[in-house]
Amino acid sequence: MVSLPAAVAAAEVKLPFLSIDTGTILFTLINLAILVFGLKHFLFKPVNDILAKRQEAVDKSLTEAEQAKSEAEAAQAEYAEKLAAAKEESAEMIRRATRRAQERSDEIVAAAKAEAAAVMQQNEAELEREKRRAASELRSEVSGLAVMVAEKVVEREINPADHARLIDEFIDSVGDVQ
Amino acid sequence: MAIMAIPAFLRGPTDPNVTGPQVITSWKLGPLTINLTETVVLEWIVVAVILGLACFLTRNLKVRGVSKRQAVAEMAVETITKLVRDTMGRRWLWFTPYIASVFCFSIFGSLISLFGVRAVTSDFSVLLSWAAVTFLIITWTKIRYGGIGGYLKGFADPMPVMLPINILSEVATPAAMALRHFGNIAGGGIIMMLVYYGLANASHMIGLDIAVFDVGIPAVLSLYFDLFSDFMQAFIFIMLTMVFVSNAGPAEDEASAS
Repeated sequence: MVSLPAAVAAAEVKLPFLSIDTGTILFTLINLAILVFGLKHFLFKPVNDILAKRQEAVDKSLTEAEQAKSEAEAAQAEYAEKLAAAKEESAEMIRRATRRAQERSDEIVAAAKAEAAAVMQQNEAELEREKRRAASELRSEVSGLAVMVAEKVVEREINPADHARLIDEFIDSVGDVQ
Repeated sequence: MAIMAIPAFLRGPTDPNVTGPQVITSWKLGPLTINLTETVVLEWIVVAVILGLACFLTRNLKVRGVSKRQAVAEMAVETITKLVRDTMGRRWLWFTPYIASVFCFSIFGSLISLFGVRAVTSDFSVLLSWAAVTFLIITWTKIRYGGIGGYLKGFADPMPVMLPINILSEVATPAAMALRHFGNIAGGGIIMMLVYYGLANASHMIGLDIAVFDVGIPAVLSLYFDLFSDFMQAFIFIMLTMVFVSNAGPAEDEASAS
C-alpha cells in the first residue's frame, strides 16, 4: 500500500480507533488550505471568469438586439408614413389627371362642334353664291334665248334701240315671274 | 482440506480488528509528537486527485462551443455556488470554495475506501480539524457582527444562569458535526469489514477454502455504507457548516442595511 521505512515498518504502530492526533490535525489543516486555494485558483476562478464573460456577451447581444429592434420599428414607421404619403400623392395625381382629361375632352368636343358649325356656315355661303351665280348665268342665257325667240317671232330686223327696250321688257317680265 | 496451496488473500479476512490509522513515521517536537499517519498520505492522494481533476476540467475554457469537460466544470461550480447562495445568502458567496473543498475532500476521502484502504474520513482527527475550522469561522462571524462584547454577552443570553449550557452548546456544534461524520463512515467501514469476515467464515463452513460469498454479496451493502452514506455525510457536513456559519451573522437584509 504505502512503502515504509524499514525501521518503522517493523514496529507497525497503529493509533487507536478513536484518537485525536496532533500530527494528523496539523497535516489535515494544511491539506485543507491547499485544497481551498487550489480549487479557488484552478476551478472557481477560471470557470467564474468564463461565466462572467459569457454573461457579458449575452448582455451585449441582448442590448444589440433591442437596439436593432427599435431601429427596425422606427424604419417601419417611417416606411408606413412614406407609403401613406405616396398613396395620397398618387391619388391626387390620378384625380388631377382625370380632371385634366375631362377638361381636354370637353375642349375637343367644343372645338369639333365649333368647326362643324363653321363648315356648315361656309357650306351655306357657298351654296348661296352658287345660287346667285346660277341665277345670273341663267339671266344672261335667257336674254340670248329671248333675242333668238324674238327674232324668230318677229321675223324682222328691228333697230337696236327697239331691241334693247324689248329685251329689258322681257327680262323684267321674266324677273317678275321669278 | 485444501488440495493445493491457495494464496492467503483468497481465504478472505480471517482476523478482523478495529484499529486506527497506521503511523508511518513520527517526529519529536519538544513535548509534541508529530505523527505522519496513513491518513495523511491518503489525504495527499485525495487532494492531488481533486486538484488534478479541477485542472483537467478547466483546461482550454471557451465562451462559446463548450466542451463536455467544460460543461461539467461549469455545472459543478454553478451548483455549489447556487447551494451556498440559497443557504447562506449573497454576502457569503466568497465562502463557496471552502464549502466546495470540504465537500470534495469528504466525498473523495470517503470513497477512497473503495480501493481497499482506510477511508480518510474514518479518522476522527480529520473530521475534528474540519469542524474546528467551522467553529473558528462561526466565532469569527459572531465577533465580526457583534463585537467582542456582544460575543461574550451572547453566552449569558437569555440569563447568566445559562452560561455553562451556552458554552456547552458552542462546543457541541463542531463536536457533534465531527462525531456524526466520523461515526457514520468509520461505523460503515466496520460493518463492511464484519460482513466480509462473516461471509468468508460462512464460505469456510460449507467447506470452501476460497471466500466465494465475499464476491458480489457485500456490494449490495456497500452501495449504502460506502456510496450513499459517503455522499450523505459530505452533504450533511457542508449543510451544517453553512447553516451554523450564516446563522452566526445577522439576517441578510440587516447586514446589507448596516
